[in-house]
Amino acid sequence: MNVLVALQIGLREIAAHKFRSFLSMLGIVLGVASLISTIALTTGIERGTRAFMQQVGGLEYVNVVNKEISTKMFEFWNLSPGRTLHDAQVIAASAPLISHISPELAVGAAISSGSHADRRQVRGIFPDHFVVSRHELLAGRFLTDLDVERGLRSAVVGDEIVRLLWPELRPPAVVGKTLLINDRPFEVVGVLPKYERDEDRRRRALDSGNRSIRRSGRRWDPFRQKNESVLIPYSTMFFDFRAGQFPLDSMESVRLDALTLRVGDLDRFRPALDQVRAALDLTHRGVDDFDLDTREEWFDRMESSIRATKLSGGLIATISLVVGGIGIMNIMLASISERVREIGIRLAVGARGRDIFVQILVESISIAFIGGLLGVAAAFGLIEILKLIAPSENVPVMTTGGIVFSVCFAVLAGLLSGIYPALRASRLNPIAALRYE
Amino acid sequence: MPLVQLEGVSKIYRVGDQEIRALDTVDLVIETGEFVSIIGPSGSGKSTLMHLLGCLDAPTSGRMQICGNDLSSASQNRLADVRNREIGFVFQAFNLLAKLDVVGNIELPLVYSGMRAAERRRRAEKVARDVGLGDRMANRPVQLSGGQCQRVAIGRALVNDPRIIFADEPTGNLDSATGEMILQMFRDLNASGKTVVLVTHDPDIAAVSRRVIEIRDGKIRREYCP
Repeated sequence: MNVLVALQIGLREIAAHKFRSFLSMLGIVLGVASLISTIALTTGIERGTRAFMQQVGGLEYVNVVNKEISTKMFEFWNLSPGRTLHDAQVIAASAPLISHISPELAVGAAISSGSHADRRQVRGIFPDHFVVSRHELLAGRFLTDLDVERGLRSAVVGDEIVRLLWPELRPPAVVGKTLLINDRPFEVVGVLPKYERDEDRRRRALDSGNRSIRRSGRRWDPFRQKNESVLIPYSTMFFDFRAGQFPLDSMESVRLDALTLRVGDLDRFRPALDQVRAALDLTHRGVDDFDLDTREEWFDRMESSIRATKLSGGLIATISLVVGGIGIMNIMLASISERVREIGIRLAVGARGRDIFVQILVESISIAFIGGLLGVAAAFGLIEILKLIAPSENVPVMTTGGIVFSVCFAVLAGLLSGIYPALRASRLNPIAALRYE
Repeated sequence: MPLVQLEGVSKIYRVGDQEIRALDTVDLVIETGEFVSIIGPSGSGKSTLMHLLGCLDAPTSGRMQICGNDLSSASQNRLADVRNREIGFVFQAFNLLAKLDVVGNIELPLVYSGMRAAERRRRAEKVARDVGLGDRMANRPVQLSGGQCQRVAIGRALVNDPRIIFADEPTGNLDSATGEMILQMFRDLNASGKTVVLVTHDPDIAAVSRRVIEIRDGKIRREYCP
């Protein structure tokens, strides 16, 4: 007997006892639905987190930070010039694994559009800054080498600044406006988009109906600094706001407020850091006053929490699938003890034990497979409900892989739970089975 | 070579530590084309003999040869194959599958001999017409009378074109007129060349055959020709 015939018999058996079959499927349906939903949820969290990681600069982002010198080295402190533009130039020349370098100067300044004013941090940067900090552009252009070379008074501003100074304008219309920084006029040449986390975006979309005071003010916002950017050319910053603070400072020797880097190839992350360290040891004359701050640990923590979520969710869903499989086994055992006589007849007309085995197994697998398909349908519904009741979470993402995996798992549960009943059925003695009442 | 040959065949059942000798060193030969009845009261061992002859069970000891197959110590699978190819069964209680229609029941042995679906159906329909159920092919057993059910069972026994047909009290659940019709069918089958073995407790029914074997206490007591 081939499997096709067994399938036909099995499907007829399932159709003949619709309610019973449905009951035995129920465990599988729920198991598959919860497994798919769990996979979708964790995939959503994973994607959201990864997108977030990318937006904050990605793993390639390295921050050169100042470090307290140990007391033993204290006398040598003056030997080191600290972080300077010279550092950046040396790194550019001697650390080929670093693809972009962004030195920064910062100053607290009064910014004004004429009608609105506030105090904010203004930063002088090089064009590489836009790559290192992964800026996107809403309108206008980024600062260019020409801006830096000529010391032009051009500025790129973030979304928060636009809202603060030009609340009546749509952000793109701000390009071309004049921004006063400590009363010096700058032309706004570019506007950055609003950076926000996925969940904030969704919450905002939900709140847009009732434009209330609900601002995400207090909560920690990793994009606050990016949204409050006021970026001007490094040279302009130096000459307009920093020159003359210390008479001997030059553009090269003034101490930087930030120095960030981007590693070109993540596979060679460690060697890249070594190159930077070697370059800085030289420029800092061996004084150990800097440190390389990376996202590795932070991202590792995120990754491991994603893994933990996946594992625990998957485990719970797996348990429910196993319970579903036990349900199928239970029903199959009941079903064969009800069909002993039928099995006896089949044996009497020449069915081998193997034929009966295949028949019961195929029936059990069919129940699991149909249950799995119903579970997929249920999962679609379940995820819509999840989206409604938990809008702040990351959007659940249904993946084909997750669906296929769950259905295969259900089929496996059906297969395993069918083996014992099938074995029992196939070992029936034909005479005893025929006499069975 | 005879169609069926038993030499010193015994069948012993163990219930607890008690041995029950259901068949005790039976010798029996059935030639092709015979119409044999096996009679005896209940508990005489006639059912056990029938199960052995029908390859539903293997003997405990002795030599058994059926349709050229030595089945003295055959595996269950081997027995299943012989049942499928060489033997047709007709039971007292019909033993039809309630879920299947007439054609579905008749084609059942063919399912296990691995025949293609279209061919199976064609042959089953032909047999259904042969046993006089040409207008009942799509009916289920519950929609049929007892006589019609037994015709379906006979059709099922015939569909694989077996060399030997076993009937276990085939008229037991039928009224006498219908029973007579069924017995006539067996006579006709025998006339067309099939070997028929009829098991019954009723000597009147056994009288339709040409050779009667009487069994008592697991032994063949006597043989006669009515």
